[in-house]
Amino acid sequence: MKDKRSKFYSSIALLLRIHPEFGALLALVLVFIVFCFTATRFLSLESLAGIVTVASELGIVAAGITFLMITGEFDLSVGSTFGFSAMILALTANAGIPLWIGFLLALAAAFFIGLINGIITVKYKIPSFITTLGTLMFWRGILLAVTGGFAVRYWGTSSFLNGLNGHFLGEFRISSIWFFIVIFLLNIILTKTPYGNSTYATGGNKEAARVLGISVDKVKIINFVICAVLAGLAGCIQFARFKSVDPLRGTGMELEAIAAVVVGGTLMSGGYGNLIGTLFGVLLMGMVRSGLIMSGAPAYWYQAFIGIILILAVITNTKLKGWAIK
Amino acid sequence: MKEDDFLVKMVGISKRFGTVQALKNVDFTVKHQEVIGLVGDNGAGKSTLIKILTGVHFPDEGEIYFEGEKQYIDSPKKARDLGIETVYQNLALIDLMSIARNFFLGREPVRKFAKVINFLDRKKIDTVTKEALKDIGIKVRSVDEEVLLLSGGERQAIAIGRAIYFGAKLLVLDEPTAALSIKESHKVLDYVTDSRERGLSVIFITHNIYHVYSVADRFTILEHGEKLGDFNKDEVSAEDIIDVVRTGKTPSRL
Repeated sequence: MKDKRSKFYSSIALLLRIHPEFGALLALVLVFIVFCFTATRFLSLESLAGIVTVASELGIVAAGITFLMITGEFDLSVGSTFGFSAMILALTANAGIPLWIGFLLALAAAFFIGLINGIITVKYKIPSFITTLGTLMFWRGILLAVTGGFAVRYWGTSSFLNGLNGHFLGEFRISSIWFFIVIFLLNIILTKTPYGNSTYATGGNKEAARVLGISVDKVKIINFVICAVLAGLAGCIQFARFKSVDPLRGTGMELEAIAAVVVGGTLMSGGYGNLIGTLFGVLLMGMVRSGLIMSGAPAYWYQAFIGIILILAVITNTKLKGWAIK
Repeated sequence: MKEDDFLVKMVGISKRFGTVQALKNVDFTVKHQEVIGLVGDNGAGKSTLIKILTGVHFPDEGEIYFEGEKQYIDSPKKARDLGIETVYQNLALIDLMSIARNFFLGREPVRKFAKVINFLDRKKIDTVTKEALKDIGIKVRSVDEEVLLLSGGERQAIAIGRAIYFGAKLLVLDEPTAALSIKESHKVLDYVTDSRERGLSVIFITHNIYHVYSVADRFTILEHGEKLGDFNKDEVSAEDIIDVVRTGKTPSRL
């Protein structure tokens, strides 16, 4: 009898350990229930579309951060990369260069930014927190200096931009499809390929991974690049929605994305986490943002609310894991 | 003796870390199907010598021959590809990953998807891990369990099990009994003799002379980065070896 019971407990504990997203799912359900009562028209298709649109653009950035955080590294420069790529797409579009070429140039710039982040961090063995704090400031500064602080608007219409982030099914945006594709692909890489194993191992115990023959430096640099390219992609996708970009675009986005990733159960110390948690994390953010507005609260409350959710979610995750490991 | 009678032949190995001369002109050999006890006090250079053989460090001077061929072992991957498997003191296990994933880390079996994408062969990973651990007498509840939850002895067993499974030719054990109970230590010593019977050579690094004496065929003693000598088991007693390590001198009768 006792044995049966402990077996039941240990299988629950194993489930909790292999599903870091559990805390975020719990929070998502709770917040959903609250808003169903407080927000008028929260349970509508338009409302859902609004939530998913906000969550998708943030989510593509957060997906890259998840990947990198599991590798044991950090990227604070994603907001600047986001703005920088969007600005390249806007400027090339206005210069009459075909949009798909501008798009590729924007992604190439993001690739380059990620490569620099990775190489500096790995080669000089400094914390990526510092490297990317530096590049956050550097690229934002370049962006402001080059544009003189003015916003850039694209007046043309383009099927390419519609493909990046047009409408479908009424109020829904194509960005949500890109978001789900990104989550799906990264999730497969992470859980079903040797490269995913190397990523977890690099974040979990770098020295052990190295003596087992994994090129940890290479893994890190590649994942810095993946993270930056996704931030650039998200920047282009948001540009496709607004048709304009200002040089402060993406400011503060890194913290919001990191919050979503951490709420989703990924460990900041590396080696643990997944993309499903991040999916729940960004949906939670999107839901809080639209839910508060629909409840008639001023938009300023968003940050305060997210702050509380962040701390509560991490406390819950830590407690659950502590229990599951015992 | 012909060159290719040795599995490993390291000649004139020197290594310096900053101002510290960790190894000075050390020769080291391992024959086929031989268990070598590599002994010496702390800081004698045992671990450095092994890390050079296993590709973690690259020597400043010296040459390494493996199966008679000169090799540049410039990465742990190269060493593993040659058939050298190592159980490091810290075991090289990833706590947050499952036993099965740890077992195959760095050399995962794959299935091709659309001829280009490599997917993990989860089924093979799980069944082979289970069988390999069972073969050497290690019991685990489930190979999906994280290493984090295992006891010190269990972790050691996983690391040794992995090395034995992949260690095609040479098994290197760095202080394998340091953190183990008496019972667990004896199991490790059994693994060593089993491995020799199956045709492997073993390098056994330890402080515990009695442990290594019971299984080794030959001893190499290091002191302050230099080799004091090689001794066949029939020439010395365990007490002799302890004496040499303690005094740093080879008694005249040896």
